[in-house]
Amino acid sequence: MEILVLIKQVPDDSVDIQLDPSTNAPKLDGVTPVTNAFDTYALEMATRFKEANGGTITLATIGDDGAVSSIKECLAVGGDKGFLIKDDSFADSDPAAKGYILSKAAAKLEELNGAKFDIIFAGKEATDFSKDLVPAYLAQELGVPVVSDVIAVDPADGGLLVKQETDTGYNMIDVATPCVLAIQKPDYDPRYPTIKNKMKARKAQVPVLTAADLGTEADKVGAAGSLTKTIGMHAPAKKQAGVKIVPPADVENPIAAATAQAVSIMAEAKVL
Amino acid sequence: MAEFGKVTPEIVEAIKAATAPNRVYFGADIIEDFSHDEMTIYGKKMPDVVVDATSTEEVSAVMKIAYDNDIPVTPRGAGTGLVGACVPIYGGIVINTTKMNKIESYDLDNFVVHVQCGVLLNDLAEDCTRQGLMYPPDPGEKFATLGGNVSTNAGGMRAVKYGATRDYVRAMTVVLPTGEITKFGSTVSKTSSGYSLLNLMIGSEGTLGIITELTLKIIPAPQETVSLVIPFEKLSDCIATVPKFKINHLNPQALEFMERAIVDVSERYVGKSVYPKALDGVEAGAYLLVTFDGDSKEELDNIIETASELALENEAIDVLVADTPAKIKDAWAARSSFLEAIKSESNWKDGEELIDECDVVVPLNEIAPYVEYVYQVGDKLGLRVESFGHAGDGNLHIYTIGDDKISLADFKASAEQFFDDIYAEAGRRGGLVSGEHAIGSAKMKYLENSVGATQMKIMQEIKKVFDPKMILNPGKVCYKL
Ligand SMILES: Cc1cc2nc3c(=O)[nH]c(=O)nc-3n(C[C@H](O)[C@H](O)[C@H](O)COP(=O)(O)OP(=O)(O)OC[C@H]3O[C@@H](n4cnc5c(N)ncnc54)[C@H](O)[C@@H]3O)c2cc1C
Repeated sequence: MEILVLIKQVPDDSVDIQLDPSTNAPKLDGVTPVTNAFDTYALEMATRFKEANGGTITLATIGDDGAVSSIKECLAVGGDKGFLIKDDSFADSDPAAKGYILSKAAAKLEELNGAKFDIIFAGKEATDFSKDLVPAYLAQELGVPVVSDVIAVDPADGGLLVKQETDTGYNMIDVATPCVLAIQKPDYDPRYPTIKNKMKARKAQVPVLTAADLGTEADKVGAAGSLTKTIGMHAPAKKQAGVKIVPPADVENPIAAATAQAVSIMAEAKVL
Repeated sequence: MAEFGKVTPEIVEAIKAATAPNRVYFGADIIEDFSHDEMTIYGKKMPDVVVDATSTEEVSAVMKIAYDNDIPVTPRGAGTGLVGACVPIYGGIVINTTKMNKIESYDLDNFVVHVQCGVLLNDLAEDCTRQGLMYPPDPGEKFATLGGNVSTNAGGMRAVKYGATRDYVRAMTVVLPTGEITKFGSTVSKTSSGYSLLNLMIGSEGTLGIITELTLKIIPAPQETVSLVIPFEKLSDCIATVPKFKINHLNPQALEFMERAIVDVSERYVGKSVYPKALDGVEAGAYLLVTFDGDSKEELDNIIETASELALENEAIDVLVADTPAKIKDAWAARSSFLEAIKSESNWKDGEELIDECDVVVPLNEIAPYVEYVYQVGDKLGLRVESFGHAGDGNLHIYTIGDDKISLADFKASAEQFFDDIYAEAGRRGGLVSGEHAIGSAKMKYLENSVGATQMKIMQEIKKVFDPKMILNPGKVCYKL
């Protein structure tokens, strides 16, 4: 199977990021760039799929030169080759424009690989802006099916059997290839690279594909090709400090006393 | 001093007047937490009064009242200790320092930070990180107070490169058992000015004075860090690799060894599996977790390459690289949860948790044979033993855990037999009783066996000079009543 895994470099999501009051943009100084966590799950799932069923994994990211480090990281844990998609005209692209750019990239990579992709894996969202839309726009551009919140995938009857997580459980979905799968956190964690694979990946070449290479049209990328526009950013409202409930030490049943206190606090706040 | 004074309602009123009525707890208003630390097996005792102090002056005022009335006082940080050191075994007053939690100021010309003693390690660490700084001491429990860390001379993961808490204390304000306020040390980086009372205070477990303010050394944070998870088939190969890092000019920030069994316990507890259990058909029996820091990715790439070659030459099955913040965090999450994970598997009998611990430190070349010896003794006594440790420092944490078939009394008896034996063996191999968890009330016997009567006597006499009425944290470290 030919597999494409899409990745994005984002600021470390374990760090609490503030807005800079003077520019109203996120303050990212000193925040380590990392591979989007959901993309690392997508790659791990793709790698397990490849190990079980054979195939090759191509990696692609839209980003600047710094994103090469994410590609190299991914080359050490399952990716076979990686590409950086970079062009000034791609700046300010929204998810719709990115879906278009990635569809052109997929076509170009198929040409370079000499084979069509069977599955395109992507994270269900990127942890920076959590817009959740790129895989759907990409599938629309390619005219292929897309399944969101995927937590498992296996080959079945010439297509795939995909497990999709829902709020109440999961769905089992038959899907034809080629298709786009947007990956949710499965019940395993991404592997750690072995030192050998890491050293090999360090030396790997990561070719750059530009707008000219992809043949993207100017009015379909960047701000011009976007359906949405970010007009401002706001920090989320601060949560109020919680209330600690400590029952008096001398009561016979501290749990009952604490529960009674909690109920009266809620009654006072008119939530009951 | 044979008899302590009683805490009367008048004394409680005097304490309230010296502090604030809503910060003084008496009798039934005191919560049970104040009767123990993290190791309940060493016994519990409720204090008569708990005071949440907010300033040096308040601590001094309360201490004066106690001194005038011969009442025992136990300073308490976050109560995370592992040797019963903050347990008020003779009742009396507990001074809770956790409200003294202000990071007062940074002095970046001299690379020091001024804090109140109740600031949590985690809060200082995060505050430093935000400014590109690092407070290097890194004991496993991040929600302990800095006053507690200093009072136990806590070590932790990074001690192998950066040293223990002692190496980062420049000055402190102390309330003496008489209530007098004094200051030891200064911001300067070296001194040769008489006996170092500052160093005497560090690791004194609240028996000589109450630390209220601290001036701590900080350093610029290293730019990059990377961790290696190194699985070995055999524990002996794993431990034998430890000294080789230093010999080969590799200077890890942290170097921990852990056995397969405890990793399994911990991953079950954390709910995440990141350590490889088998590679190329070889089952992992033990792991090293190593962190390096440096100023550039390139520098670190070279270091981890050399370190990996070294590990592979020494029978490592493979070397895995935690090269992203998430992977580093996950690899360390399992390590940091060992104590909680062990506790989750232990049983309770008569309100005590069936778990006991020994925190010995032995010369590096003795780790492997010593650990082997420990397991033999454990087997002989039919005890479940788990061990891990700061391998780079020769500091081992050895736990024994009771199952549901054993009674509290039997568990205590066999744990004592076990520890008597393995502490003695550590001594024979040139080791010391405590690497970093200190003595408290739990390890006094082993301290005496280790240092002998003469040194115990010197410590007791020092204690008397500081505390003529023997009222500050009585029954700890060197002095039983
Ligand atoms: C999960 C876990 C992991 C740990 N890992 C490590 C580790 O890796 N390395 C290590 O070295 N330690 C480790 N520890 C022990 C830890 O360092 C201590 O628990 C901690 O330093 C105690 O701080 P505390 O504020 O909780 O003090 P407490 O437990 O409240 O008190 C400890 C002692 O200090 C005294 N004290 C507290 N504050 C003051 C003060 N202001 N003035 C005078 N005396 C005072 C008390 O009287 C008592 O004798 C670990 C503990 C736990 C629970």
